[in-house]
Amino acid sequence: MAAITTSADLERPKRERFRGARRRGGALGILLSPVGLLVVLFVLPMLIMVQMSFVEFPPNTDSGYTLDHYREVLTNDLNLKIAWRTVMIASISMAIMLAIALPLSYFMAFKAGRWELVLLLGLVLADELAPVVKVYAWQVILGRNGILNWLIPGEPIEWLLYSRFAVIVTLSTTYITYTTIPIYAAMKAIEPSMFEAAVDLGAGWWQQARKILLPLAAPGIFIAMILVYIPMLTDFVTSDIVGGTSSVMMGQRVRDLILQGGDWGAGSALNFLMLAASGILALVAYRLAKLNRIDA
Amino acid sequence: MSADAIHEPGGIVLEDCRKRFGDTIAVDGVSFEIVPGEFFSMLGPSGCGKTTTLRMIAGFETPDSGRIWLGGRDVSRLAPQKRPVNMVFQAYGLFPHMTVAENVAFGLRIKKLPRAEIASRVAETMRTVRLEGMEDRHPGQLSGGQQQRVALGRALVNRPAALLLDEPLGALDLQLRKEMQLELKHLQERTDTTFIYVTHDQEEAMTMSDRIAVMRAGVVEQLGTPRELYATPATAFVAGFIGVSNLVTLRVDRRTEGIAAMDLGGGDRILAPDTDGARDELTITVRPEWIKLGADAGPRDSRVSGTVSDVVYLGSVTQVVVDLPTGERLTVHRLNDELGAIDPRPGQRVTLRWAADHSYVIGSGGASPTDGDADDEAATAPTGAAGAAQGRR
Repeated sequence: MAAITTSADLERPKRERFRGARRRGGALGILLSPVGLLVVLFVLPMLIMVQMSFVEFPPNTDSGYTLDHYREVLTNDLNLKIAWRTVMIASISMAIMLAIALPLSYFMAFKAGRWELVLLLGLVLADELAPVVKVYAWQVILGRNGILNWLIPGEPIEWLLYSRFAVIVTLSTTYITYTTIPIYAAMKAIEPSMFEAAVDLGAGWWQQARKILLPLAAPGIFIAMILVYIPMLTDFVTSDIVGGTSSVMMGQRVRDLILQGGDWGAGSALNFLMLAASGILALVAYRLAKLNRIDA
Repeated sequence: MSADAIHEPGGIVLEDCRKRFGDTIAVDGVSFEIVPGEFFSMLGPSGCGKTTTLRMIAGFETPDSGRIWLGGRDVSRLAPQKRPVNMVFQAYGLFPHMTVAENVAFGLRIKKLPRAEIASRVAETMRTVRLEGMEDRHPGQLSGGQQQRVALGRALVNRPAALLLDEPLGALDLQLRKEMQLELKHLQERTDTTFIYVTHDQEEAMTMSDRIAVMRAGVVEQLGTPRELYATPATAFVAGFIGVSNLVTLRVDRRTEGIAAMDLGGGDRILAPDTDGARDELTITVRPEWIKLGADAGPRDSRVSGTVSDVVYLGSVTQVVVDLPTGERLTVHRLNDELGAIDPRPGQRVTLRWAADHSYVIGSGGASPTDGDADDEAATAPTGAAGAAQGRR
């Protein structure tokens, strides 16, 4: 018995060294596995698409590189029309969401009292619903025999569903949580005494909003815009389900080019142009937000 | 206090103001008058209603009843934007996204003053609050004391009829606080502006104020000059709140030559001016610096024996706490002005004495000094006895 204990004691340092090494290896493994996943599932397909956008059509082992796909995509009238429409739909939806999110955030941050948490929870829960379910719900609400047309007397209104209107309404409700939360967080960080100080110095509500609230909430507003505007530019589910022929968006166009037309070159080129545009947009927003950031 | 002065700009009158929040009565009938150019403090523990009173003057709270007059105009229901007063907040409330100069210019820009006038008044104010060269900094880059001065400048640039200050030095460390106290006082004198100052720090209030309203539970306990409050406290609360004070109950055993006496046996006695011949039980307060150690008491001196319980060396004075046979305890301050003086030790028996006139009978003259003129400090003699004498008149 005593002998066994002794041998175990002797072995302990070695085993601990081993275990320590394994622990270090484990930590590395934990770090590397998501990176590996990212490379295999995200970076590799992206690289393949980058290559596709530059390779002559049809792609063979000996096909050369070309800028034709980009030229074609950029000169195609339909693409430009869809791009313009997509920007319009996303911008209008963004404007609607900001118009709702700004007062809502202000109310939550400063006036709601014990309702603050309830509202916050409501926003989060609204986002927990699967996006596709929400889109189908709008189909039920806006349809020819839908709830809205049932409530409104007279002939059913045709343009409620399968229209730009439907796409804008659906997008605006889909992303309202992501618009509100960053703005709310930025406003929550504002010392309420600042408004009293502004009032004391003679500022009315509009001057308080313009000179105190908006500049201080600006970082949150820009984050919300990046978070929401870019996904809206690439969204295709919403437009598929509640949109019509007049509301085809860029996301749908890319998918149709590749999956229906089999035109990987044009699809990939369009995709990377959108990515570049989004990147520039994000960069501009970041710079603007940084300008307004408070010097601490 | 002339009747007309309070109707000039900077004069403020509160008439029986009351304010409650739900079940809590914050302010329960506060009335006072502030003359233009006065440094007026509201002093009291937290929850005494001092900040609510200040916020009613600023317009952030509306009194449930009562009226507030600013420069002869009833402003009780006026929006804060429209009142000719400005406030310095406890947390400063500086605008972090604006430079120091933009912060200071804020009020003038709101009023849409000409650009040149804004520039000259901002420059002037930056000099007044000693912030030259800091114009383009942001508040986050400034020290606590500098932020404090920005807050002062931002308010003073509007040339308010009165400047309201809500515990503005609370966030600063002790050294800086003492510096700022004197600076505030000088600023007030230079700008000749009415300052209304809220604090729970009696020393701060004593340092700066022309007059102090000591508040408790939503009412003003006593209003007077620092000297009056210290020498002739109207209530035991005021005596306890302003400085260190000894409260002793005196049950009158005999009355002779205007002196009420309580005998404690063995020749020990507590004496006080007999200001109220009718009462048999008086509450007196004796300031620690008036009590002497040693037995050579004259016929008009109180003399008590007790046991030393604590001795604390405070630098310029040594604080000696003595337990009396009556169960009360007295704090004595012994001035350390002699080399080699030996402090008593805990447990030691000591005899204390103080002049009968240094026993101040609480409530005896507390009401009358506050009716006097604010500037009439000469009328209030430096000792409690004289204050009491004034009260008898």
